[in-house]
Amino acid sequence: MRLVSLELRNYRNYARLNLEPATGLNVLLGPNGQGKTNLLESVALLALSSSPRARRESELVGPLGPEARVGALVEGRGRLAEIRIWVRIEAGVTRRRIEVDGLPRRAVDLPGLFRVTLFWPEDLNLIKAGPEHRRRLLNQLLVQVRPGYARALARYGRVLEQRNSLLKRVANGEQPADALDVWDLQLARTGVELVAGRREVMQALAPEAARFHSQISGGEALEVAYEGPPEELLQALHQSRSDDLRRGATGVGPHRDDLSVRLDGADARSFASQGQQRTTVISLKLAEAAVVTALTGERPVLLLDDVLSELDATRRSALLEHLADPGQVIVTSVEADPFPARVIGRSRVWQVRQGRLLPCG
Amino acid sequence: MAELPAALEDLIQELSRLPGVGPRTAQRLAFHVLRADRARAEALARAILEVKSRIGYCERCWNIAEEPLCTICRSPRRDPSVICVVESPLDLLAIERTGEYQGLYHVLNGVFSPIEGVGPEDLHVPDLLERARSGVREVILATDADVEGETTAVYIGRALAPLGVAVTRPAHGLPVGGSLEYADERTLARALSARQAF
Ligand SMILES: Nc1ncnc2c1ncn2[C@@H]1O[C@H](COP(=O)(O)OP(=O)(O)OP(=O)(O)O)[C@@H](O)[C@H]1O
Ligand SMILES: [Mg+2]
Ligand SMILES: [Zn+2]
Repeated sequence: MRLVSLELRNYRNYARLNLEPATGLNVLLGPNGQGKTNLLESVALLALSSSPRARRESELVGPLGPEARVGALVEGRGRLAEIRIWVRIEAGVTRRRIEVDGLPRRAVDLPGLFRVTLFWPEDLNLIKAGPEHRRRLLNQLLVQVRPGYARALARYGRVLEQRNSLLKRVANGEQPADALDVWDLQLARTGVELVAGRREVMQALAPEAARFHSQISGGEALEVAYEGPPEELLQALHQSRSDDLRRGATGVGPHRDDLSVRLDGADARSFASQGQQRTTVISLKLAEAAVVTALTGERPVLLLDDVLSELDATRRSALLEHLADPGQVIVTSVEADPFPARVIGRSRVWQVRQGRLLPCG
Repeated sequence: MAELPAALEDLIQELSRLPGVGPRTAQRLAFHVLRADRARAEALARAILEVKSRIGYCERCWNIAEEPLCTICRSPRRDPSVICVVESPLDLLAIERTGEYQGLYHVLNGVFSPIEGVGPEDLHVPDLLERARSGVREVILATDADVEGETTAVYIGRALAPLGVAVTRPAHGLPVGGSLEYADERTLARALSARQAF
């Protein structure tokens, strides 16, 4: 999988950018606030349809007009595709339009065409913050490798919304309780699709993550495990109905899924150090890339934002070894220091300054 | 800030209640009406009133009708032993345009959607069950393939199960998550003739 060229127009702090990254390692250097993360975000947008960073899509639009555009030529399995995404603010409403090779494409149908694995500092939330961050790891992986997963996820979200709304109407007597039966059934049906994908992917991901973590850390044992809903989801929904009615929300189902993350036998959130947590997240991300590679036969483009900070020299060089695998990588850093000279020697290096990229070296 | 005359404000208000019309569009439409010939404006007002006074719902199938029964229910050539359940009169029209279907309809005029406060009662499902009890051999559930359409089909399918009529659904060829109204005629015709037990 390869990003052949990238074109940004009025995207965050990029007025206009045309970039042709190298097929191997690309290093973006620059002080804080210059646009390194913004650039990686735009590439992730091409893979996922939506920014994993922006809280509102309107954030993506720069100061030069009501519209931002991200365009790219990508290559996968020897075939080229042109992806274009417009984000437009009109009368206070933000609209997104996607085209692939000149034809309109729905946002749910884009993922899988161009695949990335993204690491950025916010990903430390995978360890530190709530389960929604760990579910996002699974979802971002699955939408890119399982056709239909993005749609199933959207359907599940909609069914859940409807069931929760019905719970409130039943609780205040507007609708009879047996109206819930059919929504339970739909929730269970769509739910098991998600769970099947998550189980399968976690079976592959857990050993890969353990392997990467052990190599980078020099022997720490990382265990990640999927914590899904009860096997008999429909039955579980029936059992939790009276609780659900009281709460006005659905208490069981894959929207409550989590991953347990343990380092040398102890809960990583409570016991792992800053650098150990970072190593854990990086290992999960490298494992994600390995799973995508195994399932699709092609390595995704690695987008690594500020990946080397907080790691000691041994961990850094072990990580950089893995990036040497053939495949495209875009990595950012505030300065060049952490990169060994021989790594810089075989990379293409850019300086990022106020939304411009200047080739150097 | 200068205010608009009350009559114009009223028109904007009413227009912005229409589905898909935001305040901006409502303003544009209102000014368009204001600029138009008197005759055009009167024709529009009359058309709106006529629709409300002349068109109602069919007593049997809830299709739109100018008489107690709609044209389809009145036709002697239709097969009363098959009922096709659709979400709206527009979906009914889409199926009629294929020319493939000879049975009767049941028009839900909505879908099961708790968020919008729409339940089975609002869709006249009890009426449908009543009809299915006498001389009906097949009910085709032709609701959309989105979450609400699918769930409505499942609900009605389960309610029909004890009655012993065949329940089918045109699954094949309809785009997943797609709306029936927008399917082209040939796709729809194929989807109908390849309907499956549900
Ligand atoms: N919609 C927007 N329009 C204009 N500028 C924006 C927009 N969104 C973000 N920016 C600017 O982009 C800059 C941040 O860019 P980015 O997050 O990519 O920095 P960075 O190079 O990754 O910095 P750091 O090293 O601190 O992570 C900020 O200065 C911010 O003001
Ligand atoms: Mg940054
Ligand atoms: Zn009728």
